[in-house]
Amino acid sequence: MTRKIMLVEDDLPILEMMEILLRKIGYEPVLVPDVLEALELVKRDPPALILLDIMMTPINGWEFLEKLRTEYNIRELPVLLFTASPSVEEKIRQMNDPYLGVLQKPVSVPDLKAGIERFLGK
Amino acid sequence: MGEIALPIDRFPVPDEELVRIIVVTSLTISCILITAMAYSSAFCLISSQLLFIPIIYAAYFFPRRGLYIAAICSFAFQTIGYYHSYPDSLAMISVTSEAIFFIILAALITFFNERVRSGEVRYRAIFEHSQIGILLFDSATFAIRTSNTKFSGMLNYTPGQVNEKSFLDIFLTPREKSRFLERIEKEKTTSDFETRFATKDGGSCWVNLSWDHIDANTVSCSVMNINGRKIAEKLNNDNMMKYRQLTESSPTSILIIQNGFIRFANPSFVAFLGHTVAEITGKSLETFIDPGDRENLNEFMAQWSQKIPAAQTRELRFVTKSGEIRGAALFTTAIRHLENPATLINLVDISEKQRLEEKILQDNDRRRGIIITVAHELRTPLQPILGYLNLLISDPEGFGIVADTKKILERCLASVDRERQIINQMLDLSVLDSGKIKLKYSTFALAPMVRKVLDDGGFGTKADLTVDVGESVMITADADRMISILDSILSNAISYSKPPRKIGIIYRTGIDDRQHHIAIRDNGIGIAPSQLCSIFEPFQLADGVVLARKYERLGLSLSIAKKVVQMHGGDITVESVVNGGSTFTIHLPKEVQHDA
Repeated sequence: MTRKIMLVEDDLPILEMMEILLRKIGYEPVLVPDVLEALELVKRDPPALILLDIMMTPINGWEFLEKLRTEYNIRELPVLLFTASPSVEEKIRQMNDPYLGVLQKPVSVPDLKAGIERFLGK
Repeated sequence: MGEIALPIDRFPVPDEELVRIIVVTSLTISCILITAMAYSSAFCLISSQLLFIPIIYAAYFFPRRGLYIAAICSFAFQTIGYYHSYPDSLAMISVTSEAIFFIILAALITFFNERVRSGEVRYRAIFEHSQIGILLFDSATFAIRTSNTKFSGMLNYTPGQVNEKSFLDIFLTPREKSRFLERIEKEKTTSDFETRFATKDGGSCWVNLSWDHIDANTVSCSVMNINGRKIAEKLNNDNMMKYRQLTESSPTSILIIQNGFIRFANPSFVAFLGHTVAEITGKSLETFIDPGDRENLNEFMAQWSQKIPAAQTRELRFVTKSGEIRGAALFTTAIRHLENPATLINLVDISEKQRLEEKILQDNDRRRGIIITVAHELRTPLQPILGYLNLLISDPEGFGIVADTKKILERCLASVDRERQIINQMLDLSVLDSGKIKLKYSTFALAPMVRKVLDDGGFGTKADLTVDVGESVMITADADRMISILDSILSNAISYSKPPRKIGIIYRTGIDDRQHHIAIRDNGIGIAPSQLCSIFEPFQLADGVVLARKYERLGLSLSIAKKVVQMHGGDITVESVVNGGSTFTIHLPKEVQHDA
């Protein structure tokens, strides 16, 4: 099973930091600062999990998710939304998507590990 | 006439009359003597009928006395006649009938004379006692010939003083005089000529003159004092002018509405609507109201007809001629217009106020938007810092970090995390302010929630806790929000007290009480009375100095807590004793009205 984790985040310092964190816990990060490019990449080379930022342009994390699930029909790929807003948790509860989780910013190594292991196992 | 009187045997007799009496008496005596001489046949040519002369004379001038004289003369005539004609009975009868004829003649003269005289007296009385001033003046020289006391009294003169003056001298101004001269030149007979006379002391007196030429040289003129009326008219005019100016130049629109129709509108209202006066008056007020507000207007008008004594006020939207919608505040007062009940409306144009209010709301929205964006932008760079610090601290050995360095890194992490929290609070408050947040109500038991907050926050290790919350207490609120409110107040209590800390959480209510009261009491440093009311204020309301100090002490958690409780329909209050501790009490309504 691949250890590839796709990181979709348009803020470069966060991207770099997350890369280190992911490597630290033994995953192989794929960094994608361009959200539209990420969609193409998912189709070509699907990762084990996507870490997705919400506030991005030209499309935000929610729109990315919508396209991924309906347009690309990729329903069983785990997605961890990466956010600083506490209200996101409530929102995804209502969406009833078993392959959708949330990771609160600021992220710590144990939180990141637990979040990924929830979907991928140890 | 008859002013000098000579007292004769206790009765005063006017001198002129005395002269007449003497003349008449002497005439009578002379006539009797003449007659006597005639009958003595000495002078046949002198007729006994000469007795007519004194009788007619006396009867004319002194009617009653004339009768006596006629009687005396007749008696003398008869006596003398009998003396001469005796015993000729035919002659004697002729003498008697002649005497009777004299008396009848005198009586007739007296009768007609009296009638004429009584008429004169009546007219004189009318003249003297008239309530209208009457005077006669010369049509060529305008000299006053005679006037009554009413006229002289009108101008504060005595009758004598007026009669020495020229009529032209009593006009107040040369202009009045020339107006009069023009008029009298044109019209021989005039009524209702209004002018002003000068009184004796130089004052003015409004009069209404009517005149007529009674003969070639004399003009009769009646004078009516209209000073009172003129003063009242002037006052009335002044008042009219005053009110007219008040309504015409008032910046507030003024309307009079009767039975729903506009009876009067001042220029300000005309300008407000852009219609002409003709397009407004007589129309119903409803015509100019925005259709969406017509029901509102009808409800408002129903209040007028109910005659509620207090003045009413309402804000309504009008449609102007150009189709623009303008807001106005209407203030009504019940009045009477043309003897019927009406409503006076003062109308203030508030479209500018509404525009500004909207602008303020927009500006506030914009400002909140900026704050939210700025907060996001500030928060983003903190993520990698926090991430790296967390990473380093989580594996010091792996990164070759010694214990001292780790301590420094931990302090960095605490500071950066605090900054993150402040930014989050700022965001939270801005979003709450925007009113776009909806509370998620649920009904839950309070005691377990309090226990959870205390456990999660580790408050048990920081303070000696006393919890007095009944297990059966159920509240309806946004549970997540309540948890953070309790956490904020408890954290605050810990921050501002020193060990040994004592914190009490007490729940109270009454059967009739419509609120839950949750009190959180600490033994901390307390809050000075001067700061009590400002501790809930968010920092953006305070000035720079206060901001810095409050930021350090309290942050925004209390502002957020208070705002959220207020959104529930409740409030947070605080009581405090400096160095004795503070008690924050959350008041929550038991019955909440919410969607879902």
